[in-house]
Amino acid sequence: MRGKSLITAVIILTFAALMTYAVVSLQVFGEGIGVRPLGEFYLENSYFGDYSARSPEVVTSILWDYRGVDTLFETAVFFLAIIGSLTVFRLTREQEKEVKKAESTPTELTPIVKDVTKVIVVMILAVSASIALHGHLTPGGGFQGGSALAVAPLLIIAAYSKYTLEGHGMDKTRALILRSIGLLGIALVALVPLLSDGFIMQNQPIFPAEVNGQLIGGSLIYYNFFEFLAVGAGFTAVFLLLSIPEEKFKKILGVKK
Amino acid sequence: MSVLFYLGAALIVIGALCDLFGALGLLRFPNFYVRLHAATVGIIGGAAVPLFGVALLALGADFLPNRYAIAGASFVTGVTVLLASPAGSHALAYAAHKAKLVQRPEIDHLAEVRDDD
Repeated sequence: MRGKSLITAVIILTFAALMTYAVVSLQVFGEGIGVRPLGEFYLENSYFGDYSARSPEVVTSILWDYRGVDTLFETAVFFLAIIGSLTVFRLTREQEKEVKKAESTPTELTPIVKDVTKVIVVMILAVSASIALHGHLTPGGGFQGGSALAVAPLLIIAAYSKYTLEGHGMDKTRALILRSIGLLGIALVALVPLLSDGFIMQNQPIFPAEVNGQLIGGSLIYYNFFEFLAVGAGFTAVFLLLSIPEEKFKKILGVKK
Repeated sequence: MSVLFYLGAALIVIGALCDLFGALGLLRFPNFYVRLHAATVGIIGGAAVPLFGVALLALGADFLPNRYAIAGASFVTGVTVLLASPAGSHALAYAAHKAKLVQRPEIDHLAEVRDDD
């Protein structure tokens, strides 16, 4: 026991010493060598100039404008993961109905938790929308906002039950429809520049950078909004599937006890 | 830099102290419920209070760009933590009590609840 702790301490101290040496010798916090040419290009073309998305948040601008196709494929990976889990949990129409029926009265948490959940769900909806729709101004964006959005149904599932969420209209089919709308929106926004001799997913000269004097960052706000919708709804669908009780599946699959 | 700035900085220092005491309590307290109390001290005192501190500090910092956005975001996050953390602790304690996982409590005010269910 003592020997193990000693080895751990030695490893941690060596690592700390090496890192300190690296930081000091490489002058990470010193003057440095300034902004590299590529960085300068991105800075100039994301906010300044006529052919820019006018987005102060350069990361969003790079993600959706300059490396849009890259991001599109990253999004595609996420959707493949969702489709994969939907395939694992695939059910027929009758089984879907069966799964939506509560076996007995589902156990809910105490009134304290339920009331706090009500307030927090509303707050999460507002905060996640702000993260997503501010994506071109502040750090954040569609994916982050969508992930935050998905916390709201998750909290409802935990504090109330899956059946409450479905009873209020947010069932798996609705979630999938919302997800598809989001995906379709991303694809359409990506294809619009092709109509006016642009390149695919290029947006700066085509979409307006400002509406009524309000900076909207060209196509960035549309991408962020649709990604927000798609990611939030995708996660919700998976959470709904994961919260199906094991007994239901055993019943459907005919597992004997 | 105004009074708000220093008030916010003071709140952040209080938050650091609360985090330290919460961590100490989590390590040294005898049973689950008191440890949960220490953890909650770490969350409310060590996360919500510094977030309000950041909000005040940002409001008081005249040189900071977008300080209203920073203050607003910190405030909303602080309120969320302030609401969510007690509810979470309550749920944990209730669940531990209901599952009879904790054998130690000498005073059991929830005994009648257990008999009801």
